Amino acid sequence: MEIVGGLTMLFLRILRALIPPTFDRRETWRNLYKVGVQSYAIVAVTGFFAGAIMVIQTGDFVGRTGATGLLGWGAGFAVLAEIGPVLIGLMFSGRVGANNTAELGTMAVTEQIDALRALAIEPIRHLVVPRFMAMMVMLGLLTCIGDLFALFGGALVSQWILKVHWRVFYYGLIESHLLHEFLVGILKAACFGLSISVVSCYFGLRVTGGASGVGRAVNQSVVASAIGIWVVDLFLTWATYL
Amino acid sequence: MNGKDSSEPMFIERLGAPLGDLVRTLREIFVLLGRTVRTVASERADRREVVRQLFDIGVESLLFIGVTLGVLGVISLYQGCTQLERVLPDFSRAGATYLATLVREFGPVICGLMVATRTGSAIAAQVGSMVVTEQVDALRMCNTDPVRYLVVPRFLAGGPMLLMLTIIGVCISFLGGMLTARIGWEVPYSTYVNLTMVHSHDVVMGVLKSLSFGYAIPIIAAHAGLSAHGGSEGVGAATTRSVVNCSFAVIVLDFVISSSVYLVVN
Repeated sequence: MEIVGGLTMLFLRILRALIPPTFDRRETWRNLYKVGVQSYAIVAVTGFFAGAIMVIQTGDFVGRTGATGLLGWGAGFAVLAEIGPVLIGLMFSGRVGANNTAELGTMAVTEQIDALRALAIEPIRHLVVPRFMAMMVMLGLLTCIGDLFALFGGALVSQWILKVHWRVFYYGLIESHLLHEFLVGILKAACFGLSISVVSCYFGLRVTGGASGVGRAVNQSVVASAIGIWVVDLFLTWATYL
Repeated sequence: MNGKDSSEPMFIERLGAPLGDLVRTLREIFVLLGRTVRTVASERADRREVVRQLFDIGVESLLFIGVTLGVLGVISLYQGCTQLERVLPDFSRAGATYLATLVREFGPVICGLMVATRTGSAIAAQVGSMVVTEQVDALRMCNTDPVRYLVVPRFLAGGPMLLMLTIIGVCISFLGGMLTARIGWEVPYSTYVNLTMVHSHDVVMGVLKSLSFGYAIPIIAAHAGLSAHGGSEGVGAATTRSVVNCSFAVIVLDFVISSSVYLVVN
């Protein structure tokens, strides 16, 4: 309960810092670059495997009925709307969220955050808001790339393992009009980025107790981020079908 | 690292460096796996420590697994039924289909990812802070093998516990889906609970997956923890690396097992 309250307070303080937008622009650019480049490779590979796995799983059902045209619909829907954003979000939380908690936690235990306060630089505006912006924007954009790699992985697997021509896979995909699912997936990813950034900053800023404290904080941060991803996913799935 | 004496790396070097890192990490993980297996085979493990790890990995993750897999069940049935509504409004196979995918894919994989997140980061944080505070060196000084004392109990506890967590997770997720289908689409419980689509190879696949994730995660996490260096920054970096490597191992192993079982069965 204390954690939920703390997260809400931090989120409100971030929003407060955005109106009027008086955060550190240079720091935001640097974070956008860092977050994007740091997780580009991992998102691409995760997307590739997510697509490949979903095609194999769909292939098992399709194989029984022989309706290979449904392969693109089944795998495409699952990847674009659900599995892609969630898996990429979980990997992103492990890569960027955990890294962020470790970084802020190290700053907290070495009293660098107190030093910032002593110099009248507010940690929220200088440290938290740039990360918030960077993660939200970048996870949305990275999911587009991840989806692309997922469809590529799916096509390769359908060709080589399922022995279904990759064109059949792509025609099935195009004919099932998945634009809405794609956009919902991107929206989900941006909201996952939002929750990951708030959670990881919260656990990073309140670290106490040296090296083992940082380790514990990272552990708590990734667990809370994972729960956050599932809860946000549940809420958005329900909200986008209303 | 200081960048003064080393000139700007060439393009090929920059291209090859991540690959070299990957190969090195993989080799170190397999060496650690080999040492762990050899220790398990040759010596009796500390039974009290194994029981403690069984508790730490299994019981402590139970609530987390329950919440995430329950949510997964609700989401999946919600998505599935809204899609079915558009194509053909026949929900009689919804439960059976969901159970089959759950048993062979989502149950083990999502449980594996959640355990990779929770336990993987915890193991790396524990072992990493022992390394940077020189407690591991102290163990060596006392002629205690760190692999035997730290890695083996976690390795032995990982496999069985992930299997049990997967079984519990599958049940909770199936129940979550059952409630969603009943409330949202008025599918009767007796129609939803239908085991006809679960074949023996699905169960074998699920068990194989969860056991392999369960044995892989502690080794990879312990490797990340043991390679920590520097102070609190090092522990943070090791924990991060552990989460990424463990989740990644789950996804890759899942792909390997899924495709090989598919090729064997068909």
